[in-house]
Amino acid sequence: MTTLHLPVPRLAEATVPGEPILEVEHLTKSFGGRTVLDGVGFTLARGSVVAFLGANGSGKSTTLKCVMGLETPEAGSIKLAGTELSALRGTELARARSSVAMVFQKIHLVPRRTALENVCAGALGRLGGPASISPMFFPRELKEEAMAALARVGMADRAHEKAGRLSGGQAQRVAVARALCQRASVLLADEPVSALDPRAAEEVMALLAELAHEENLAVAAVLHQPDLALRHADTVIGLIDGRIEYSGDISGLDASMQARLYTPNRAAA
Amino acid sequence: MSAPVARLSVPKLPNAGWRITSILTAIAVFVVLHVFALRGTDFEVAALVTGAEGMASFLADAFPPDLDWEGVLAPALKATTVTLWIGLLGTTLSIPSALLLAVFASRTTTPHRAVYQLSRAVLSFFRAVPDIVFALIFVTAVGLGPFAGVLALICHNTGVMGKLWAESMEEADNGPQQALSTAGASRLQQVTHAALPMVLGQFVGLLLYRFDVNVRSSLVLGLVGAGGIGLLINQSIKSFRFDAMATQIIVVLVLIILVDQLSSFIRRKLEV
Repeated sequence: MTTLHLPVPRLAEATVPGEPILEVEHLTKSFGGRTVLDGVGFTLARGSVVAFLGANGSGKSTTLKCVMGLETPEAGSIKLAGTELSALRGTELARARSSVAMVFQKIHLVPRRTALENVCAGALGRLGGPASISPMFFPRELKEEAMAALARVGMADRAHEKAGRLSGGQAQRVAVARALCQRASVLLADEPVSALDPRAAEEVMALLAELAHEENLAVAAVLHQPDLALRHADTVIGLIDGRIEYSGDISGLDASMQARLYTPNRAAA
Repeated sequence: MSAPVARLSVPKLPNAGWRITSILTAIAVFVVLHVFALRGTDFEVAALVTGAEGMASFLADAFPPDLDWEGVLAPALKATTVTLWIGLLGTTLSIPSALLLAVFASRTTTPHRAVYQLSRAVLSFFRAVPDIVFALIFVTAVGLGPFAGVLALICHNTGVMGKLWAESMEEADNGPQQALSTAGASRLQQVTHAALPMVLGQFVGLLLYRFDVNVRSSLVLGLVGAGGIGLLINQSIKSFRFDAMATQIIVVLVLIILVDQLSSFIRRKLEV
């Protein structure tokens, strides 16, 4: 019997840009009586970058965490590729969620492991059995896919470097490669560049925009710098006290809108 | 003339009176506890002074140490090697059980709240029973000799090392574990690919520290018949061969210094 080795088609190739992949409606969440999200709804489409802007505590990160399942919303609906997540349980939910990857402010690589091993770890969700216990047993196909992901983010030459020895910008690019190795179609980035210097921040944001436009991913990034959003995002969602203040084309993010989003002491005013 | 230095009166600390009262209370409690402790242990400096003569004659008997190769030094070296092996095996053979219990007894990696509580209880038990008690139990089971010592150390060290490892896992940054969890990794995968690699350095450091302690413990275990140099020291004391005992203690001292130096050397290398 012969085994056919067919190339694994990237999800992205089989889909149309602009197709909505993540639909969120009426998300509500409160912590200790304080409402953090008050009916937040938005849609992420393949091939575009959405920037989430807003002052500290406006609910940007909580929104992403609810989508990721790191927080449980009190109400609202989250649809991934048309499937309502709240209807799923256990492995079905995990499988659905695995099409969403997260990139963190604190990067969260394992410093002792190499860049390549960290990227391979993105595939753990679909890799079962004893082979998934140690990087020593990772199959060659996985390592090659991880190398391709590292090459995509411009880090192939550092594959065998310990993650702890990389600079912040390099490490964040490796973390993005880990998300690619997860074969995610949605990339949620929670303040991905807040810990980086301006140049590294620029590079990482440019990379995320490139992946959205060329690999047809849906990218949502929580940002603290409106100018980064202006340069790299296609659309913007502005939050004030857990409500969406603005949602639309990046051109709408003018000086007055920025001032509105970042008015200090709104609660006291 | 330089410009006058600006001064501003320092506002009073809130609750200043309460702070002083609580410090004084803490000191009083500390003193009272020590009074009870001194009484409870018959602590008497006078007894030490009057007994100094006995100590002097003991030391006089011990020096010069008996360095006879055939009768004393060679057996001492051989028995010290056994002590080292007891310490080594007692440490390494407790790694699997300590690791398993540590993973179960760390809030960040435990599969279930009940497993966490149970593992903590098991670890507490192994830690609370002194290694010397384990040694006495195993001597009755497998007879006098180093094997009983190894078994005793495995039990006690599982309790101590498992607890230390669990604590270091709880203190470690669990971000990478969270990242893998959002990527759909199973709990076991999160442990092997994030939680454990994050603490590997601390784990090895604690392991070396425990090796250091266990070599010293295995010495005491010899006193209750669990083999090694402790057994020889015990025999020397019982037969009033204090000069032989002095030689044996010197050999032990050299071993302990060597183990201590080696483990701190490796720990230093690991930190870099």
